[in-house]
Amino acid sequence: MNIKEKAIKSFFMENPVTGLLLGLCPTLATTTSAENGIGMGLATTFVLLSSNVVVSLLRNVIPNRVRIPAYIVVIATFVTIVDMSMQATLYQLHKTLGLFIPLIVVNCIILGRAEAFASKNTVWHSFLDGLFMGLGFTFSLFILGSVREILGSGAWLGIRLIPESWNTILVFVLAPGAFLSLGFILIGMERLSRLFERGK
Amino acid sequence: MSKQESGFKVISVLVLIAFFAAALLAYVNKITREPIARNMKEETKQAVRIVLQNLGQFDYPDDPLDKSLTEFTARYFTAKNASGQIVGYAIIVKAPNGFGGDFDLMVGIDSTGKVLDTYVLNHKETPGLGDNMKKEDFKKQFRGRSLANTRWAVKKDGGDIDALTAATITSRAFTAGVKRALTVFNVLNEEAKQ
Repeated sequence: MNIKEKAIKSFFMENPVTGLLLGLCPTLATTTSAENGIGMGLATTFVLLSSNVVVSLLRNVIPNRVRIPAYIVVIATFVTIVDMSMQATLYQLHKTLGLFIPLIVVNCIILGRAEAFASKNTVWHSFLDGLFMGLGFTFSLFILGSVREILGSGAWLGIRLIPESWNTILVFVLAPGAFLSLGFILIGMERLSRLFERGK
Repeated sequence: MSKQESGFKVISVLVLIAFFAAALLAYVNKITREPIARNMKEETKQAVRIVLQNLGQFDYPDDPLDKSLTEFTARYFTAKNASGQIVGYAIIVKAPNGFGGDFDLMVGIDSTGKVLDTYVLNHKETPGLGDNMKKEDFKKQFRGRSLANTRWAVKKDGGDIDALTAATITSRAFTAGVKRALTVFNVLNEEAKQ
């Protein structure tokens, strides 16, 4: 497997959010700002990476009949680790994302990659898969968070772009704005993916 | 599915995985418990410093004390100056019925019963609307107000408080929270006099 090709694939064609439309609940709920998007994305990347590696290591040990419960235990363990270490080190970020971190357990990207990829491939390939899929997820959350923060709060990564007294398009910070922005980003990503496919 | 594994194998593998997961979590919990507790305490201390900053240097206890009133409970820090006189209180109350439920509010009050500053400890208000309550524009109108000199309601309800644009429910909760803190202050003040 070509690493560069794999990277491009996970960012565009097979991007968890814009390509596969997986894990939309945390995507829509946490991307009120670019920073929150990155935070959620990296937390998910860590869980995805670790669970992929462990599931791949255990792929010949875990009995087929109970593989899903086994995967869930592995995933839940890593999610709890992320939750506790974030609370210990990034306390402020944890206060905004706290509610959604435990939900990573049921994020279908993670179980999806464990079932579809890690349980059938070597540790190294599963590691790469987890890394690129996670970064692809982070990438789209960052874009979505940026759009919503710029339009909705008039700031980017916490830096004010317009004076505080000016009015912003508040709806973009709220839930409908998440759907709207995601829709337009999907159109853009679809175009980009086609360009890449034609370029091949 | 090539072959059916024996029940014993299935059970023992699951038990082993669960065992290792539990051991790992116990370890992580052990090393993160202290920093987490410290972070929480640090934030509260930081908040006390902010809401009482106009009083200058003072001593206050490490942990807040509890005060139960008939309708609600509050926690508070007493600020004393060098000669042991009470110069103010930092009172933590629940602001009731915000848009995302109750939220924790700390109010700094000086010894004459005037609001010094407010600090929202944790909340689930809407980002961009309700969470503007943390901004200076909204907070500044509470400074200097006391229980007696103010009608404690938003202007829409016939009070003196300017509500946040598109976040009246949050503003009501905030106003009620500050009022609660002032009520607690009155009780504490009476007790201190005796």
